[in-house]
Amino acid sequence: MSSTAPGHSSKRPTGGLSRRLFLRSTALAGGGFLLGYALPARAATLTGAAAPLPRAGEFALTPWVRVTPDNAVTIIVSQAEIGQGISTTLPAILADELGADWDAVKLETAPFAPAYRNPAREWMFTGNSESVESFHDQMRKMGAAAREMLVNAAAARWGVAADSCKTIKGSVVHVASARRAIFGELAADAAKLPVPASPRIKPDSELTLIGRPLPRVDIGEKSDGTARFGIDTRIPGMLAAAVRTAPTLGGKLRSVDPASVSGMPGVRAVVPLEKGAAVVADTYWQARTALKKLALEFEPGTDLDLSSASLRAQYRHALENGPWATPVNAGDAATALNAAARTVAADFENPFLAHATMEPMNCTASVTSDRCEIWAPTQGQELAFVTLKATLGLNDDQVQVNRSPYVGGGFGRRLLPDFVVQAALISKAAGRPVKVIWDREEDIRRDWYRPATMVRMTAGLDKTGRPIGVTARVVSPTILHPVFPLIEKVLREQGIDPSALEGMMESIYDLPNRRVDFHLFKTSVPTSVMRTTGYGPNVFAIESFIDELAHAAGLDPYRYRRRLLSKNPRVLRLLDRAAALAGWGKPLPKGHGRGLAVTEAFGSFIAQVVEAVVSADEVRVLRVTSVVDCGRVLDPGIAKSNIECGVIFGLSYCKSEITFDKGAVVQGNFDGYELPYLAETPELVTEFITSGEKLGGIGETGPVPVAPALANAIFAATGRRLRAMPLARHGLRLGLVRPPKGKGYA
Amino acid sequence: MPKLKVNGKLLDVDADPETPLLWIVREQLGLTGTKFGCGIARCGACTLHVDGSPVRSCSFPLSQAVGREITTIEGLSENRSHALQQAWIAEQVPQCGYCQSGMLMTAVALLRERPRPTDEEIDFAMTNLCRCGTYPRIRRAIKRASGQVFHA
Repeated sequence: MSSTAPGHSSKRPTGGLSRRLFLRSTALAGGGFLLGYALPARAATLTGAAAPLPRAGEFALTPWVRVTPDNAVTIIVSQAEIGQGISTTLPAILADELGADWDAVKLETAPFAPAYRNPAREWMFTGNSESVESFHDQMRKMGAAAREMLVNAAAARWGVAADSCKTIKGSVVHVASARRAIFGELAADAAKLPVPASPRIKPDSELTLIGRPLPRVDIGEKSDGTARFGIDTRIPGMLAAAVRTAPTLGGKLRSVDPASVSGMPGVRAVVPLEKGAAVVADTYWQARTALKKLALEFEPGTDLDLSSASLRAQYRHALENGPWATPVNAGDAATALNAAARTVAADFENPFLAHATMEPMNCTASVTSDRCEIWAPTQGQELAFVTLKATLGLNDDQVQVNRSPYVGGGFGRRLLPDFVVQAALISKAAGRPVKVIWDREEDIRRDWYRPATMVRMTAGLDKTGRPIGVTARVVSPTILHPVFPLIEKVLREQGIDPSALEGMMESIYDLPNRRVDFHLFKTSVPTSVMRTTGYGPNVFAIESFIDELAHAAGLDPYRYRRRLLSKNPRVLRLLDRAAALAGWGKPLPKGHGRGLAVTEAFGSFIAQVVEAVVSADEVRVLRVTSVVDCGRVLDPGIAKSNIECGVIFGLSYCKSEITFDKGAVVQGNFDGYELPYLAETPELVTEFITSGEKLGGIGETGPVPVAPALANAIFAATGRRLRAMPLARHGLRLGLVRPPKGKGYA
Repeated sequence: MPKLKVNGKLLDVDADPETPLLWIVREQLGLTGTKFGCGIARCGACTLHVDGSPVRSCSFPLSQAVGREITTIEGLSENRSHALQQAWIAEQVPQCGYCQSGMLMTAVALLRERPRPTDEEIDFAMTNLCRCGTYPRIRRAIKRASGQVFHA
């Protein structure tokens, strides 16, 4: 089978089907009759990587739109498609404003270039659930600018006023004279015009794509095996490499003996690395086979006593002793606590977690002494770019970072440049282009983990049970520093990591006296961003604790939250809707319980109800109801899938954890680090409320309330309060939603 | 040189007989739709068919595949016409998409055995991992392809 190197787009079948073929294939499937729709005969598709500059025959209308005279309209996709659907939504915003024929648009993934930076951060990356929020206005503006350039070119050609022309489905039209020109005819003239600085933005009423559920542009290729992920990259002369690094976190390479694998089939080179070594061979399997025979010795490092127990003791010591930074000090929490009728306190623990993207870390690199080009499934093109330049001592024009069109999961892991730099060093040492693939063990043991945290919550209640003062003490390692090194100064001088404080800085509730203390925990465990970042661990503590306060006050947790939200109608509306949808208060069989959590996360708001049943050691999660306000919904289908699949991701935070023993990570694969299965997936009920407020993120919002809502449901079902996750810490596990019959299930 | 029958074609393969079938199809035959996920037959991203049965090819040696019919995602249909591919598109199943070839191949084998599977049968058969959590749409797509969900 031929393959195409990134940088050269190839046209793919669009999945159009004749009715005859459609019926025949349906009949073959075993008798079922299918009513449904296929993708349209033409559909926008992500065809590959964009060239850094327009190719011959392509005319650029802003950095975002390229048009050829034969009317191929290409929109550049700045953001990594990691499954969240961004390669559909952002280009659709631009195409809508431009008046392009969406079904005929080609999409290409952006190279690293300043034009494709997140305009709010001036940094090119995909993360923090902020792509829509940060790029929406930019996409509108760029679409409008390209539209005005085409319209101006047509108006000049026809000798008519520009404001008497408009764009419809890929053409400029002068209605009065019924003249029409396709974009391709106008592209050469339009590209010579200046890019308008303040183009007119269409009123929303003229939009035809946004607000509707569009077929995702990546679905076809992901249903027939043709989608090209990083691991599928092929470039001429490429070799493959397998790597093994020291089992202990602080370990380094002591020695490697290349003779131990010389003469093995396909082996071309052995490359020593700081923490391990790589075998480079003709094929990956040859490299991996040789790696298993490679004579490697490691320096174990100094932190050999590191274990989950020792870490917990260190966290506990920090929780008791600080020192503390105090990022929130509103009112006078200490006085309020002293004046309280009673106080309630509880400590909460969140585990270390691994990203475990289905596509393991991999990168293809072609590096010589004066040039570095890489092809990577990355979320962090700019950090990869600057790190490669610094590591290799190269200039801007000597480094090119290409992102693979598809990325097999991100969840924050791929913001880090470690696997990219490693591939570059291996290629340089081997003197050949090399594709480096981490096996699953390397992927899990060389992760930058979602950090464990400890949180102590304390509240003073008045006689009615209302909190008059609340304090939180958060012990967390850094989250942000590895992906945003510029935060170093804030960490050092203020002792604060903004990501680790997400969810703590403001409260949705009416809490007049509130203080948050933060201890930046130093550890040799690498930690960084993972889907939900600080929101996940902090909201677990907050929303579990609010449930405890309701219990202490003798009030229903929903009614209790309502009281605290009386001044927040936006969130109250969500809470009420979620409670109604979930049948809050309706009787449940014995062993069943409902739990609630509500929060702000990533600029959106979410209320969630989990219904679960507990029997013996099994927790079966039957139903999760989510109601979300992200301002407005740009694509209802994609938004819903982000929330619902996010709920399942949230369950993974309750199922497994990363533990440590003798200085090393214990888990190495999906046998020890188990992810939820289809059979453990609850019924999902999801609704959006359109408040019309500022756009918020949805990629990471769904998982945030899951752990506290589940813990609260387990409390409702059993009276057992889970102040730590995952379930296994309490002798519990996720059970099948539909257990096999006749085995004594409730 | 051993010959391997893949997607209806006889192909020469030059590799150690212990090489997992996954790496044969990906590296020797260039059929990269079949994915590497775990290497221990836990995640199912590498699922393909050997004589019509789903096999986790990361743990299935070349030596056992010789002389048998191998089908990968690329051989499932032309133009995404298989009922399950159509259902995958209609239900907009994939997110990141990395696990979906394996999911589809597992689902195809399920429908061959159980043309109208119950929820419990879907639970039992679909043990592949999806980190994005597309499971609810996978279930719906299987039901759609087997005529159990009707939509305009």
